[in-house]
Amino acid sequence: MHRFGADIAGGSEGHCRVIAERLAERHDITVITTTARDHMTWRNEYPAGVSEAGALTVHRFPVVRQRSIRDFADISTRVFRGGEPAAVQEEWFRMNGPEAPGLLAYLEAHGHEYDRILFWSFRYYQSFFGVPLVAERAVLLPTAEEDPAIRIGLLNAYFTKPAGLVYLTPEEQELVERYSGRPLPPSCVVGSGLDQPPQPSTGALISTGIARPYVLYLGRIDPNKGCATLLRFFTRWAKESTRAVPLVMAGPANMAIPADDRIRALGFVDPVVREALLANASLIVIPSPFESLSMVLLEAWNHCVPALVNARCRVLKGQVQRAAGGLYYRNYDEFVRGLETLLRDATLAQDLGRSGHDYVERNYRWSHVMETLEQFLENLAVPARRTIAQPSS
Amino acid sequence: MADQAGRPNVARLMREIEDQVRQQRRTRLLARGAPDEYRDAEIFAIVEDVLHRAVDQRDLEALLIPELLDADEDWELQLPLRFESHRRTTGGLILFVKKRILRPLMHWLYEYSLENFRRQRRVNRLLFASIEELALENAKLKQDIAELKDGGIAERTGRQGHA
Repeated sequence: MHRFGADIAGGSEGHCRVIAERLAERHDITVITTTARDHMTWRNEYPAGVSEAGALTVHRFPVVRQRSIRDFADISTRVFRGGEPAAVQEEWFRMNGPEAPGLLAYLEAHGHEYDRILFWSFRYYQSFFGVPLVAERAVLLPTAEEDPAIRIGLLNAYFTKPAGLVYLTPEEQELVERYSGRPLPPSCVVGSGLDQPPQPSTGALISTGIARPYVLYLGRIDPNKGCATLLRFFTRWAKESTRAVPLVMAGPANMAIPADDRIRALGFVDPVVREALLANASLIVIPSPFESLSMVLLEAWNHCVPALVNARCRVLKGQVQRAAGGLYYRNYDEFVRGLETLLRDATLAQDLGRSGHDYVERNYRWSHVMETLEQFLENLAVPARRTIAQPSS
Repeated sequence: MADQAGRPNVARLMREIEDQVRQQRRTRLLARGAPDEYRDAEIFAIVEDVLHRAVDQRDLEALLIPELLDADEDWELQLPLRFESHRRTTGGLILFVKKRILRPLMHWLYEYSLENFRRQRRVNRLLFASIEELALENAKLKQDIAELKDGGIAERTGRQGHA
């Protein structure tokens, strides 16, 4: 894993942590990672060496080069255009980082001591260079999104290397298969798991000063997450409509939020407030153009809350269609129609929310997720490990 | 409005929303002076469908026109700024000054231009995709016409043979 820690907020990082913790209930799990915490610079922040995190052993390796965003942007532009030689494409993965050659050396020397080695996110250094070193026991969770990185030429051969592939959604599987264009190793589709939601605290919502009805956005407030478009659409709708309800945005902001009475930006909220916000929302809006799995969407359905999602993201649209748990939009007019339909027709909104909940019940309870994953890992034809792993610092 | 499993029929709901939005958009465009042909709702729906395919469904990195222009160096926007010098002796110093002094000073302008060039590149690609969709429609229509002609000729020939 490129970075690891309870204090790290991130989709694949969080997924890795919860899966590792669940696997550790029945297996010995070592997390091989770096000392980086910040995903922009990969600055060394955690101490190198071996430590314990609950039932997990964590083995951290130092990063030898911080990421230069400017240089990385330059090489990305070149590589994403296509036609660059293999050496330049490899350099893209090195510059994306976090470059930790010690981690690769450890994998090369000790990889055979593990039964299975799971790699998260193809785009990072440790996965791109690590998978080939332990290919026969490597299982890759690509966490692929429809962004330009998936088109890098070297990936065609790369995706054939691991012993198995684990996708988060059928759309991700289709994406990787489409771009690799050749037979791939055995795979399965496993998302992440959810527990039954806790009883929502009424006091928590009152403490924020927010009253129903409201539209909820939950997560990092960032242009890359489609928030600039969401804010543009919402402020326009709020001006044009007499039926506008507030938009509540809960999450750290990486961009300016317009001063508008009907936009309530709460910043980072604690888990109790988060659950209360989810439980009481009229609907959740997810404007992200790129996702490999939207946990927020599943969490909303866990509370029977319908969703309005960006149709340009195939994963979000696919999840909504499979679950019959909401509506989707491609432009402002569809955004407004979808929003007003969900706000006006309470019975329909309730039915969509309940249908989303049934979908979570069928596919995303931990027991189901872990059974599917463990079965897949067990059935993979990989060589037996040679000795018990004893990581040393 | 439920599907066979008793769940809300999202596909039907979305079709209804899309139809309402199309009608609203057509009225708006006509009011602004769009072509008279748009008064025909069916024609408008076909035009919108072709353009939607270009905008929403086409992979902008898998287009035919860029392949055809492959031998032409000058058609594509060059996004990254590359520093090169033909001077053997002073080249290194010039590159150093450009990279380490001038570029950091002008970084804000560079970033601004780069972002706009990226947008322009996307617009170019969308236009290519739209043209390609129209060419596809045209090709399919040509095929249909050819088949109809062949069928008509065969039918006529058949009738003549029977006569």
